[in-house]
Amino acid sequence: MGKKKEDSRIGWKVSDIVTIGVLTATLEAAKIGLAFLPNVELVTLLLVVYTTVFGKKALAASFAFVGVECMVWGMGLWVINYLYIWPFLVLLALVVCKSGCRSVWGYSILCGAYGLGFGALCAIPYFFIGGPSMMLTWWIAGIPYDLIHGISNFILCLILYRPFRYAVEKCRIVVIKE
Amino acid sequence: MGVEEKLKQSKKKIWIGVAFLAVFAAILVAVYMIAGPKAKEGTKQCTLEVENDQNKVKSYKISTDAKYLREVMDELVEEGDFSYEGTEGEYGLYIESVNGLKADYETDGAYWSIYVNGEYGQNSADNQPVADGDTYRFSYETDSE
Repeated sequence: MGKKKEDSRIGWKVSDIVTIGVLTATLEAAKIGLAFLPNVELVTLLLVVYTTVFGKKALAASFAFVGVECMVWGMGLWVINYLYIWPFLVLLALVVCKSGCRSVWGYSILCGAYGLGFGALCAIPYFFIGGPSMMLTWWIAGIPYDLIHGISNFILCLILYRPFRYAVEKCRIVVIKE
Repeated sequence: MGVEEKLKQSKKKIWIGVAFLAVFAAILVAVYMIAGPKAKEGTKQCTLEVENDQNKVKSYKISTDAKYLREVMDELVEEGDFSYEGTEGEYGLYIESVNGLKADYETDGAYWSIYVNGEYGQNSADNQPVADGDTYRFSYETDSE
């Protein structure tokens, strides 16, 4: 009884923490694995899949991923970007998921739009560093890369969303059973 | 609502989403074409400086038809008194070493910055347009500076 009460107060089970650890590890592996291809990444797709399967737990994984990235690459301005960019994606995916979206096209459009808007989101800190002109210059200079990012996100999600989701759901069932 | 009706509505939503994506991409292309960095044709006289980790500056006077800074760098490499190495990063060329001096961010937070006429550059070398009279500086910097 006492243990049950304690569990509900903490709100996290051991399996949750293990799950978040595994999600974070796969995010980092995906990031490093495709680092040789500029502006082509699987982190967006994985976070969307994790959000549709695990809900809000993906938010914790997105923050943990930023922590691991800091340990790998050191601190920099990009840390501020990452601290809101990836959790923002999880929130967007949560909204799309809660709206009842079951279509791979819906999530592909989300991933594509997120890629196209990635530079604009990253440019926000430059508003506080050098004002609106610096923010705009920085954003506009990166538009060709945002286009590659958006298109590749869209195509990758269209092709990989279903197999990734199937694999993640299978793993989740195994964790629950054990 | 029948299954067919639901399917029809779902298809309509998908088309709206794809159209939104296409419009978003078209707006980005338009913004870049109107306000993006523009390269100029013709011969330009400019200066390229390299400031090393000892704050010593080596200067190169260049007469070039190159449109972008990276082309200028490649021309200098061909002339033999300049070298650079880099990788294609998320936002263009990430310069790792200039004239044999490697900036290793993972080891000591060091990196190569680009300054254009004394101002911190907003473009990577392959996106930085070359203009007549401009001075470009590669500066070895560390996070602790």
